[in-house]
Amino acid sequence: MSNKTIIEVEDLTMAYSDQPVLWDNDVSIVENSKTAIIGPNGAGKSTFLKGILGLLPTLSGSAHFMGKAYKEVQAEIAYIPQSSEVNWDFPTTALDVVLMGRYVHLGWIKRPSQKDKKIAEQALAQIGMSEFKNRQISQLSGGQKQRVFIARAIAQDANIYIMDEPLAGVDKNTESIIMDFLNESQKQGKTSVVVHHDLNTLAEYFDHLVIINKRIVAQGKMTKVLTQENLENANMNGDYGLDVSV
Amino acid sequence: MEIMDLMYLFNLFTASKIIDIGSFQLAFLSLDMDILSSYVFMVVCAGTMILAAAAGAIGTISVLKGQSLIGDAIGHSAYPGVVIAFMIGMALDPLKLFIGAIISGAIAFALIQLISRHSKLNLDATLAIILSSFFGLGMVLKSYIQGHEAFAHVSQGGLKNYIFGQAAYIKNADVYLILAVAIPSILIFIIFYKEFKVFIFDETYAKSIGIKSNFMYALMLVITMGLIATGLKVVGAILISSFLIVPAITAMQWAQQFNRVILIASLTGMFSAFLGTYISSIYPGMSTGPSIILVMSLIAFLSMLIGPRGILAKYFRRRKFINDKSNV
Repeated sequence: MSNKTIIEVEDLTMAYSDQPVLWDNDVSIVENSKTAIIGPNGAGKSTFLKGILGLLPTLSGSAHFMGKAYKEVQAEIAYIPQSSEVNWDFPTTALDVVLMGRYVHLGWIKRPSQKDKKIAEQALAQIGMSEFKNRQISQLSGGQKQRVFIARAIAQDANIYIMDEPLAGVDKNTESIIMDFLNESQKQGKTSVVVHHDLNTLAEYFDHLVIINKRIVAQGKMTKVLTQENLENANMNGDYGLDVSV
Repeated sequence: MEIMDLMYLFNLFTASKIIDIGSFQLAFLSLDMDILSSYVFMVVCAGTMILAAAAGAIGTISVLKGQSLIGDAIGHSAYPGVVIAFMIGMALDPLKLFIGAIISGAIAFALIQLISRHSKLNLDATLAIILSSFFGLGMVLKSYIQGHEAFAHVSQGGLKNYIFGQAAYIKNADVYLILAVAIPSILIFIIFYKEFKVFIFDETYAKSIGIKSNFMYALMLVITMGLIATGLKVVGAILISSFLIVPAITAMQWAQQFNRVILIASLTGMFSAFLGTYISSIYPGMSTGPSIILVMSLIAFLSMLIGPRGILAKYFRRRKFINDKSNV
């Protein structure tokens, strides 16, 4: 793993109406890393991701991906929103959702081709969802829904994965499938940035860490950043009953 | 063998009798060719069917986006625009009234957006206040010019039609207007089909791949408003939103894929328009617009009951689930 920075965030400040959510955040994400973002509730983790992707307005600051603005490289970045933000009653099938991962590569009017369909089916197979490909999305379980999202990201064939709590509320099986996917992606040279909530699996699953609580509390290699002191500085002590023995 | 053959013939005979009795009882469904081939009926039918097909398809967007009532608010809010356009133009020119409806509907929509962005009011409260104030304004203006001498020399009778609709008076010019709006609307929907799909299903992801929400909302507004403004004369300000909403509800009970939902909504809209127009032609005194909506709603209710995604299907699935569980 190199130490090259792939995502560079400078001075990011964001607010909801007049309530500041994020102050002056400078973050560097290392290329080919598996970076976790942690922080207490309301620390602005999701807001941070949306801010760097231009999904929410920022007051100041900038984010660069591979040295470029997000718009120039959006096809290479796969974002997985929290599953609660999606209209699950929409009439569509699992395969159809995965196909949406190909849209960013298609021009106006163009429909997905047979090749796109094949890519989508392979993506579903990779996360063990082939048998559900024609299943109505509202009839999928929480873990299956999350896996469909992962498959959509796979189908997008991106270089950077940005995920908002993909492991929240999923079954053990889904959790290990998603982690296998992240590990495999890392072997292929890809980078992932993941909002994570479970401190017990943190050091096992990820190699880099950003601790955020409106401001950046600490960032860097997991072994260096995951300390009792940093967690206390982020007001994360005790809440999780965590035994930090890294 | 002969006896069997005889029995077979006898059965055929009785069966055909039953069909005979059935068709006699359902006489009004055996279509009257004289009406079907009359020119007036064909014009009205063409107008309502094209409108209903387009509105059915486009209506799926706002219904699935959870914003069906915005169409209702715009429909009502378009009315004062019709009256003002009449006051300015001193005539019931469909095109001018259409433009008036569009402008007034657009102002209402802008106000809805403004209020929901800058106040803590819920969307339904905002819609209610805009809908009633605009429609109220339309009614006040209409009664004002009714007694006013400046307008005494022009016929205003047609203005009332824009409240309740008067499909029976659809003329060729109206059909052309409907076509001129319906075809571009459908084309826009086809061109941006996949963008609409991601936008409705997962707006955040859509944004992340470069599909701008504001642009999609604007597109949705333009095509919805065009159809509403055209539909005013056919079904009226009060009921026009049903053309957008009801077929979508029907379709959602049957289909599991977006493209099929659109197709079914469009087809049931068209079928309802045909049957509604026909019913209102054979029973004098029944207005066309409301008849169409009654047919549409009846289909929607039946679908909600017996459709594969409807109430009964859900009930049986749940019972099966509970039975399976208790058997384990």
